[in-house]
Amino acid sequence: MDLDEFEADNSVSCRLASAIPDVCKTEDCCLGIDEAGRGPVLGPMVYGICFCPIGKKEDLKDLKVADSKTLTEAQREHLFRKLDEAKSFVGWALQILSPNTISTSMLQRSKYNLNALSHDAAIGLVQFALDSGVQLKEVFVDTVGPAEKYQEKLSQRFPGVEVTVRPKADSLFPIVSAASICAKVARDHSVKDWNFPEDLGEVDADYGSGYPNDPKTKAWLLKYLDPVFGYPQFVRFSWSTTQTLLDSKAVTVHWDDDEEDGEKAAARQNNTSMLSYFKAGSKTSAQQSNTHQTHRFFTERRLQSLATL
Amino acid sequence: MTTKKKRSPHSRNDRWVVVAAGKLGNYSAVETPQKDDSDPTFIRLRNPSTDAASLYLLGSGDVQLYEVKAFNEDFHSWFIGQTVQRDGRLLYVTPMDPLYLLLPYLIKAGKEGKFQPMDQVVMDEDFPACTRLLSCTRSQASLHHVAEEKEVGSLKYHRYSQERTMEWLKKKAERTVKTLRKSNISVGEGVNSTTYVRVKQESGTQEEDYLRYAHGLISEYISEDLSKALLKHLQLPELSSPKEVEPPSKKRKLTDKPVEAGEDYTKFNSSDFTRKPPKKMSAAQKTLAKVDKTGMKSMSAFFSPKGKADKN
Repeated sequence: MDLDEFEADNSVSCRLASAIPDVCKTEDCCLGIDEAGRGPVLGPMVYGICFCPIGKKEDLKDLKVADSKTLTEAQREHLFRKLDEAKSFVGWALQILSPNTISTSMLQRSKYNLNALSHDAAIGLVQFALDSGVQLKEVFVDTVGPAEKYQEKLSQRFPGVEVTVRPKADSLFPIVSAASICAKVARDHSVKDWNFPEDLGEVDADYGSGYPNDPKTKAWLLKYLDPVFGYPQFVRFSWSTTQTLLDSKAVTVHWDDDEEDGEKAAARQNNTSMLSYFKAGSKTSAQQSNTHQTHRFFTERRLQSLATL
Repeated sequence: MTTKKKRSPHSRNDRWVVVAAGKLGNYSAVETPQKDDSDPTFIRLRNPSTDAASLYLLGSGDVQLYEVKAFNEDFHSWFIGQTVQRDGRLLYVTPMDPLYLLLPYLIKAGKEGKFQPMDQVVMDEDFPACTRLLSCTRSQASLHHVAEEKEVGSLKYHRYSQERTMEWLKKKAERTVKTLRKSNISVGEGVNSTTYVRVKQESGTQEEDYLRYAHGLISEYISEDLSKALLKHLQLPELSSPKEVEPPSKKRKLTDKPVEAGEDYTKFNSSDFTRKPPKKMSAAQKTLAKVDKTGMKSMSAFFSPKGKADKN
């Protein structure tokens, strides 16, 4: 699999696709959607679609595609090559969501959660197939979140296409299995030779599976924590694993949309406590005599006089 | 010119980011300073408006005075070269007329009504550096704006003059008005967003608004008494403070109809009225919830039968 396009800039989302088989443009087709790398704290999440004419479903079975989780890496590679060889009737497309895209989406001011991100990636790929002229009639999806809601969302989005959302769809429908193989292979490749844009010198590539509970991943995360910057873009900052490590080991960073407790925020802003107004008169009168109202020219521009450097 | 000062990289407030207009006196990175003491120095002087300490800067050889202001907003830091600076302030060093800082001393000495040499006038136990103001080029040349002068031999004597000062401040205000107009600064009433830039010129802005704004700006550099006197001198009416305007008193209109209660409190007596606990806790409640309660008896424990309590 050629991931050059993604590796050229792995900070953004990237779409890779096979050529569209001619037969898919004339015959009614089915399409499977699956994802790889939803859970890990490292690396991208990959969405894959695979499509073929409905009449060719049996040929797909002959390829013995199965749920990617039940296969070894070598078997997945082998199956992907077979799928690619069947390019006369099988097409695929991938959406690689970089860890940086996931981090920035989930941590931006208006939060964009992982489910929404996943749904939109899936919708984008289906739309891509339609735009490419694939005669879509059936879509099979492995669910993200509640199956009925997701199915309703997709059906409304794509009228005229019969959408089936099912948990474990990757073991039920060969076309979903094929999609899951494409996604998994792309994910494996990108993680294996992750091209670190940061200047980290010789990077220790022994980060394990990338899942938060993997001891190798944990050790790697501890090793590569920078007190100021946190992590390279390879790491998903929005994962609680990352946040916990940053909270305990890195320098505290305050953002202006941080939710702070009322009292803490007040203390930081140097606000006077309500109680101070009820204290003995001496202090209040002293405060009042020394209230110099800075002109709004300066307050509007956030300019202050200084007493010390 | 943007100057980055670096003394020692390790402790917190040793470094700051400064914007300074032009050269600070003879000092520049390229030229070699002519005198050893010609580096600009930060000094603390009495702020004429607040009477407290403020930071100023004296250019090389103490000939030019600058005031120091900091742009300070929450949630800012600097990346400088390969380091991070927690203090995200941006210091501005801008030229300032030393006369503003000399005025309080002249006024104080002027109460004695005598002509005095300046080095006797400008003395301050709290801010001994204030004498350095006298070596600023503008100081000696412009003292006549605020004081009467007498020359005896080679010595000069000065006495504070309120009339001269008022005329001088009036000129300052007029010049400020000109600059305000030129720089398109919104002087009208009402709240302005700092990020919102008005494209259209405000139509309702009066000459008086500009003058009042200029007066407010100059008041940042003079005492409160002088500020009030200047307000009169500029013939600006004092603004009535909004506090004095009382809200219209609420009076029940007299009618022949029987008086009824404004609100129906009987609804609280009905059985379906139950107090629902508030869903969100207030900040105070949250802090209370965090209190370590280990080893504390619950309130209800004090009301349980005695026999049970004795067993414990």
